[in-house]
Amino acid sequence: MKTQRDPAAGDTRTDHDLVYAARDGDTVAFDALFYRYRDGIFRLGLAITKDPSAAEEIVVDTFARAHRALARLEPDASLRPWLYRVAVNLSYNRRPRKGLVLSSLDDAVDEPLANEEGSPSRVAEQAELRRFVLGAVDELGPKHRIVVVLHYLNGLNLTEIAEVVGCPVGTVKSRLHYALRRLRTHLAAHPELGIEPSRPIIATGLRAPKPITAPVPIEGE
Amino acid sequence: MRLFSRGCESLEAAYLAGADRLDSGERLALEAHARSCADCADALRYGRPVDAALRGAFAPLRERRTIIAPGRVRLAVGLRTPAPTNRWLRVPRFVGRLAEVSVMVGVTLFAVGTSLDPSTRPTSLTPTHSIVQEYFRSQPPVGDIDYVRWLRLVKADAPSTVSDSSRLPMGGRFDYDPIEFDKGSGVLPR
Repeated sequence: MKTQRDPAAGDTRTDHDLVYAARDGDTVAFDALFYRYRDGIFRLGLAITKDPSAAEEIVVDTFARAHRALARLEPDASLRPWLYRVAVNLSYNRRPRKGLVLSSLDDAVDEPLANEEGSPSRVAEQAELRRFVLGAVDELGPKHRIVVVLHYLNGLNLTEIAEVVGCPVGTVKSRLHYALRRLRTHLAAHPELGIEPSRPIIATGLRAPKPITAPVPIEGE
Repeated sequence: MRLFSRGCESLEAAYLAGADRLDSGERLALEAHARSCADCADALRYGRPVDAALRGAFAPLRERRTIIAPGRVRLAVGLRTPAPTNRWLRVPRFVGRLAEVSVMVGVTLFAVGTSLDPSTRPTSLTPTHSIVQEYFRSQPPVGDIDYVRWLRLVKADAPSTVSDSSRLPMGGRFDYDPIEFDKGSGVLPR
């Protein structure tokens, strides 16, 4: 007798097994894949498009493409890089056009963390600090920004990021290094972080970073 | 050819110490190198707070969830439930579909048939006289019932003798009599 699994409870099968089961028409297996990766893809779409409704559409479109490609999918271990690659491409196709006002990535930091403790002023300081850091990430170019987002938001390692963005691991390391170096220069402007700007640029051959021109919102203003 | 010096070769590894998964040997080698290299020591010292600040900044976003159900994907793909394997379970659906088609064909034929102009109608629709009708028409009526039958037979030919259906009032009278029966059959009622 066929047993029914609850997809929301989590399926212990590997992505490889789930893909092959879904290929044979097992909708429960496909649902398990969906529940496993929908939040990560949603966050990735949100980080790129900054629009929650667009991020939800990206989740749906990504899995719709995965369903159409089931017959030729051959995941070795994890389906995550393949799904994230599709999601990144879809997200860049849906980037906000000029004139369209969308919420910024740092709007989410207004909601304090569930386990965040301390006085209201301390919580507000932490939120302001997060906004400052995410504002600096927004200032990065798309190639460097996606590497930072994939690593720090989605938790992908460098090899997985290389699969997602379609370039060698060395290139990913170089981009992340450049992004961190430039972020360091930006974040040095905030005294609470205790970061000093990087050493002179000419000595390392890197281009001079563009300073943040947008004013940082301060609580109470 | 390099136009600019990129500094120490280990500088990238020093910045990525928090992101890249170095094993213990590589880590010790990097820290040993940083003792003699100012750039790498600087990168190691300030790379960690940048890494920590980024992890802290993305923490609320990592808690964001969505409540989309996989049904939306099925709608997008157009998935359907598998058809029943038992053939007898398809019989009600087949009968229903047959009834739908019959009604559709009937309505279509009715609509086409009633929309035809009388002049374009097939000739088979025009009344024809049978031999039996001709026989009864030639026979004089005997009884009351026969008279009624005879009258009906004669009336059936009446529309063919009408010359024009349009009438114009002239001086309180019509310009001609509307209907004229052809009474030239020579047979009169008793």
